[in-house]
Amino acid sequence: MQDLPPIVQFSHVSMQYPGVLANDDVSLTIRKGEVFALVGENGAGKSTLMNLLYGLQKPTLGTIHIKGTATTARHDPQRAMAMGVGMVHQHFKLVPSFTVAQNIALGMEPKRRGFFYDQRRVNREVLALGERFGLAVNPRDVVGELSVGLQQRVEILKALRRGADVLILDEPTAVLTPSETDELFTVIRRIVAEQGMTVILITHKLGEVMQLSDRVGVMRRGKLIGVVDTSATDERKLAAMMVGRDVIFDELRTGEPGEQAVLTVQNLSAADDRGLPAVRGISLTVHAGEIVGVCGVEGNGQTELTECIMGMRLQTAGTVTINGGEVSRLDPRAIRAMGVSWIPDDRLRTGLSAKATVTENLLVGKQRRAEFSGFHIHYQKKAARSYAQKLADAFDIRAGGLDLPAESLSGGNMQKAIVAREFSFDSPVLVISQPTRGVDIGAIEFIHEKIMEKRNAGCAILLVSADLDELFRLSDTLVTIYEGRITARFAAGEIDKQGISYYMTGGRQGEEAQA
Amino acid sequence: MNTGFLQSVRALIALKPKQKLTAQYLLSLGVAVLLAFLVGAGIMLLSGYDPITCYGAMFQGALGRPRALGNTLAKTVTLCLTGLAMSLAAKAGIFNVGGEGQLYLGGLAAAMVGAGMEGAPGWLIILCAILAAMAAGGAYAFLPGWLKVKLKVNEVVTTILLNTAAIYFCSYVANGPLKTAERGIASGTAMVSKAAWFTPLIRLSNLTTGVFYAAAVALIVWYLMTRSTVGFEMKITGTNERFARYGGIRAERLMLWGMVLSGMICGIVGFIEVFGLHHRFLTTISSEFYFDGMLVAMIMRYQPVGVILMSFFFAILNIGGSAMELSAGISSELMLIVQSIIIFFMAAEGGISEMVRAHAAARRVRRAAKHAERGQAL
Repeated sequence: MQDLPPIVQFSHVSMQYPGVLANDDVSLTIRKGEVFALVGENGAGKSTLMNLLYGLQKPTLGTIHIKGTATTARHDPQRAMAMGVGMVHQHFKLVPSFTVAQNIALGMEPKRRGFFYDQRRVNREVLALGERFGLAVNPRDVVGELSVGLQQRVEILKALRRGADVLILDEPTAVLTPSETDELFTVIRRIVAEQGMTVILITHKLGEVMQLSDRVGVMRRGKLIGVVDTSATDERKLAAMMVGRDVIFDELRTGEPGEQAVLTVQNLSAADDRGLPAVRGISLTVHAGEIVGVCGVEGNGQTELTECIMGMRLQTAGTVTINGGEVSRLDPRAIRAMGVSWIPDDRLRTGLSAKATVTENLLVGKQRRAEFSGFHIHYQKKAARSYAQKLADAFDIRAGGLDLPAESLSGGNMQKAIVAREFSFDSPVLVISQPTRGVDIGAIEFIHEKIMEKRNAGCAILLVSADLDELFRLSDTLVTIYEGRITARFAAGEIDKQGISYYMTGGRQGEEAQA
Repeated sequence: MNTGFLQSVRALIALKPKQKLTAQYLLSLGVAVLLAFLVGAGIMLLSGYDPITCYGAMFQGALGRPRALGNTLAKTVTLCLTGLAMSLAAKAGIFNVGGEGQLYLGGLAAAMVGAGMEGAPGWLIILCAILAAMAAGGAYAFLPGWLKVKLKVNEVVTTILLNTAAIYFCSYVANGPLKTAERGIASGTAMVSKAAWFTPLIRLSNLTTGVFYAAAVALIVWYLMTRSTVGFEMKITGTNERFARYGGIRAERLMLWGMVLSGMICGIVGFIEVFGLHHRFLTTISSEFYFDGMLVAMIMRYQPVGVILMSFFFAILNIGGSAMELSAGISSELMLIVQSIIIFFMAAEGGISEMVRAHAAARRVRRAAKHAERGQAL
């Protein structure tokens, strides 16, 4: 492994954003033909570093060499691609209504007689490309109808067609099911072994790092802390390097769930924003002191389910009751008053106001309380400020300033702010969606502890997550959701992660024999 | 009316001012104003005028004599109130482009009350006229607000359309059923009871006691927007309506109220014009005052204090421009060019600031690196 020639070299690269030094004097060499994992907490600077390589931003200081050639001041994605660097982003950049071949050709369309778009040639090229790299796709499929795993495959092919031999994958498994993840890893191993590709993997899932990579670079607060051979390390050591201290995931559970049903959903149906059925007759019950985990690939009705409970979306059928009182037709204001809090999955669209200050974001929902509103008219700025400071301290929200807009927070701190606000209502019912998505390890540990504190205090918690580790760690009961239906239900410990994958992709409990 | 109107709407789309009023923004605003004056000076030189004389004439004409200052302040009142009306609605996340129509209706309502209550004490007439103006303007804003909140009809479109309807309606009324019997008045209603006229504060100028009413309104709006619980909720709604709803704020009600209050303020502007200046409703009561106010509001990013100050500056350009035309002989249209250039630079502000920031950041890092090297060398 040592004798592989370097393919990408960062020397003393720094990147300054307003107020944040995102990369601080990073020097790193990536060798040809290796799988290099770049790990670190959110905001550690790993994505920034790769954006510099891909030309999305320019380093403030330092130089980057690709295959021995220094990037210029006018480095941009086009030039990066010409130098053989391709990037697959976490959020795919595909046109849903185009076919696979059209998406792959987009921007580099072969022309017939110098003018006409040559669809047939594209289809042929895509088939050949897929065969060569072992990434089978049907060029005529419409991308919007493909599974997320296949869409990702299209993204990879797109990069390969442009001649990429250095492939950057940004959090590639965040949206995949366990079996899709396995498939992706097989593909990566094959293109590295057979085609001599170099793969740079940005991730914070340490299990995947151990499984797939040759070497690991760990970043923390903009600095490259160290580069180690994967074979010479383990998950615990990496986690400690990332966070700067030992991380211990303890068993936090105390006591058994209560008997009293607090949140009951009965035969709930709802449509999504396009008016298509998204939730199709879901029934579930959450007891006091119980965490019910909803497992499913994203987009199977989880968002709509939580929105219905919170009154943000009107159901087409069915009821939601809280402690026996029906809330189905109430607005969020009334539902909050009945003791429901929600951590929504979409932080910036629903969970926060990016342009309002951190203080204001923390206060929302309590602004009419006497201590913050003199005579119900005057906004008590000072009281609000000191309240926000207290919450920020209690939940370890690291902000540049509480009077700065919320958009100045890192993803993890935004999430902590939302958790702080929602947990401070002392609601007996918590609906929690994707609590730790895009959040770093230290903050995950913290948020999990807070959720368990709430559970142990007797709250009824509905937990929706795409992260199986999280669900298995926290839930007392697991249900799987597929295309808006509950497909199976297990008590914690009855099933493992591999087994549950079957129900997340449409298998139904009691039908295993036929499958 | 159409060109100025369309320009305003275009400027609205281009500026999209949502960010806060930062020190940096104010700095670039200052630079933009300076540059605009320089470009204006260039144009003067090209057309054979001496810029120093011209600008001197402008400031002299706007501030030099009590009468001129009075006119400038009267103009400030109109710009400031219309600007605040725009800001208040925008704060709650709803765009009121219909202020012109609300102003007309407010003026008409005030004029009718003022004429109809002949014989009543002045204070009572004024009180009733204010209420009538607010009711007319507010009701006319309620319609698009309600359509927006309940049926998601784009309020920019409806308010623009309602402007035309209101102006033609007022024009019809002032030329037809309510036309004054007096001779020499082409299109206007009967005169307001003399007991209720505002007293001029400076002889021969447009500045009247109406300025106190305006100041009171401005103070209330400022308090509402920046110091009240409702203002807090408006800000949350204006920056993210979905978040506001989820947080238990009655977002729709706030947006509707923002619109209605905005319409009420516009009605008051009409009232002040009628009672202070014309003493009757005339179809020429406003020449796109609201769109000028809208521009001021957008340039100052809907910050009340900024709107008040910028109104004064625009009033100087406006009043001084006419004076400059008379004394220095250069067309007052030049001031429109200066205004447009300011707007142009403010629209480009985002990009310019970004450039300045990037340079500053690079300098900081380089300096830090140099320090570190020196530290190691020691």
